[in-house]
Amino acid sequence: MAGSALRRLMAEYKQLTINPPEGIIAGPINEENFFEWEALITGPEGTCFEGGIFPAKLHFPPDYPLSPPKMEFTCEMFHPNIYADGRVCISILHAPGDDPMGYESSAERWSPVQSVEKILLSVVSMLAEPNDESGANVDAAKMWREDREQFNKIAEKLVRKTLSLE
Amino acid sequence: MPVTLVDRLPLPNLKVYTAGSVSLLSIAVYYALSVTSDPNWRANSTLARQDSIESGQGEQRSIPDQLQPNSTRNVSEQFVDVITFMMQEPLCMWTLINIAYCSLAVFGFAVQRLVFGPLRVAEAQRVKDKFWNYVFYKFIFVFGVINVQYMDEVLLWCSWFTLVGFLHLLGQLCKDRYEYLSSSPHSGGWAHVRLACLLAGILAAAAALLAAAAVWGLPAGRDTFAFMAAECVLVLVGALHVAARYALALCAADAAGAAAYYVALGFEAAALLAELALAAAQVAQCSMLVSMASLVLLLQLRHLLHELQARLRRHRLYTALATHMSRNYPMASKEEVEKNQDNCAICWEPMKEARKLPCSHLFHNSCLCQWVQQDASCPTCRRALAAGPAAPRQDAARHPNHLFHFDGSRYVSWLPSFSVEVTRVRPEAALAGAQLDAAAAQLQLMFPQHSRAALAADLARTRSADLTLDNILEGRLPPAAPPRPAPPPPRPAPARADAATMAAATPADPADGAGRFSRCAAEREAQLRRRKQQLVEAARRRYLARLAPRS
Repeated sequence: MAGSALRRLMAEYKQLTINPPEGIIAGPINEENFFEWEALITGPEGTCFEGGIFPAKLHFPPDYPLSPPKMEFTCEMFHPNIYADGRVCISILHAPGDDPMGYESSAERWSPVQSVEKILLSVVSMLAEPNDESGANVDAAKMWREDREQFNKIAEKLVRKTLSLE
Repeated sequence: MPVTLVDRLPLPNLKVYTAGSVSLLSIAVYYALSVTSDPNWRANSTLARQDSIESGQGEQRSIPDQLQPNSTRNVSEQFVDVITFMMQEPLCMWTLINIAYCSLAVFGFAVQRLVFGPLRVAEAQRVKDKFWNYVFYKFIFVFGVINVQYMDEVLLWCSWFTLVGFLHLLGQLCKDRYEYLSSSPHSGGWAHVRLACLLAGILAAAAALLAAAAVWGLPAGRDTFAFMAAECVLVLVGALHVAARYALALCAADAAGAAAYYVALGFEAAALLAELALAAAQVAQCSMLVSMASLVLLLQLRHLLHELQARLRRHRLYTALATHMSRNYPMASKEEVEKNQDNCAICWEPMKEARKLPCSHLFHNSCLCQWVQQDASCPTCRRALAAGPAAPRQDAARHPNHLFHFDGSRYVSWLPSFSVEVTRVRPEAALAGAQLDAAAAQLQLMFPQHSRAALAADLARTRSADLTLDNILEGRLPPAAPPRPAPPPPRPAPARADAATMAAATPADPADGAGRFSRCAAEREAQLRRRKQQLVEAARRRYLARLAPRS
């Protein structure tokens, strides 16, 4: 089981290294443990997160790719779909069986044809367009809806923080 | 709470503990020697002897003088004397017990250093959890179930459980380490050899303990023997499972093949059954039916039964699935596999033979089997594999079941978790007759370009308005001819779209270091670190440049 997970992760790592998507870097932190990756995600242009480099950790289950990895940002984040502890709440990371929020159709959820690259690209688009219906961070969702200016200010601060400019 | 308490307790490390134990032992031995150097020490009662020690040195010295002729005992006799004395004297006895635990700890530490090296965090945590869980249940067993009355019995049971628990922990470590080794990209051959040796050792020790249980447990009664044997059997099953996986891996068997599956099934079921039998026997043995101990044991029993049921249900699903797959989805023909240039989308490896789904997507048989156990749909296009046997899981999720869940590990990591589930079994909630017509009419209101008949047909197939809705939205259910000028566009994958705009918006940076995948792990790690650094630096430069004109 774990052997096939390992081969697949190696293939993905290779692909992400040879042909990396713009502004995204991902790979195992230490190759002794191939099931723990770190990813750097560039905040999408034209959004309040523009310019930031957001580090995140990916934990892969031993039966990857049958089960999705878990992802959490290791920097401070303020976003409607990211929990206060950094965990990311998007449908692509949810296994077909569980539906914590009860609103996703199974078509958007995890399937083994998804990959690290697709997850990270989804996260980029999540950064650009928060889904304020999912309440991972209710405060952030409320602020996103009602006080966009304040939200942008906080995001700007986070961006500066990730670049260690503050 | 208790666990944080344990963490904070100033527990001595192994060195201090060993030094303390050895010095305690030497004091005890010295004391025993000094007492037994008197050949007539047996004659003195414990109390009298203590009196004589306390009352002064002179008297003591005088006794050996008087009995000089008798004191020509040889060394072995004196050794026996010392041992018998230490066994009788409570303080010395405790020192001996302490030193036994100490040597076990040292032995365990040595094994850990020899075989495992430094433990990984997950392994250490697992061992810790298992240890406290084990202590918890054995405490309940000793004081709640068999209700021991005498200190001797407590000691005997404690030493027995210490030995078995030691093997349990080693077995757990072996299992974790095996999983880690088999999943790490470069594991040395020696690590495997050492692990295999330890496994053999565990197996031998467990067998020896089983024999010991037969020798000493049987005379004490069938129940005692059964309790002792069950523990050994649990250790044996665990170790044998790891050994069997080793053997399978050596035979280069397919990890998802039927042989591996049945081996796993057999061992898991055996372990669960043994645990179940043990728990049931304990409940039966409970002197009082309503007590804290029996309550805890009953909850454990409930949990184990649930696990076993879940395992059997999974197995039924597996067999049903295997037959269903081989009946409904034929293996792709040679030409089809050759024509299909892509790798298997699940494992990303080339396909020599493949199974073909009705949507004409190809996958490895074993990959597909594993996926369909989770979700009865095509991984690529999400098309539901209609009438698949994996449907029960989705149905179960829809029924309003009551689930009481006590998650002990939320409070203390080694506390057990229990869940009690009240399942309401409903007849298949299929759409039929008038309901189906109503649903079709509703859908047609939303999608006027589809004919009512087509919708009804699809509803009859999917048996769910939601699934049909998905089919329509994703273009699997084509609108009736003539199509309206603007058919519902299939939902664009947002990730893709955004990636495209982002790539277009940002001028491509020179991706330093990318485009090359080194063969050496250290080099890859260094390259990744370099790339990360470059990305951050470039972003910082860009950010400052953007800021400059503004300020």
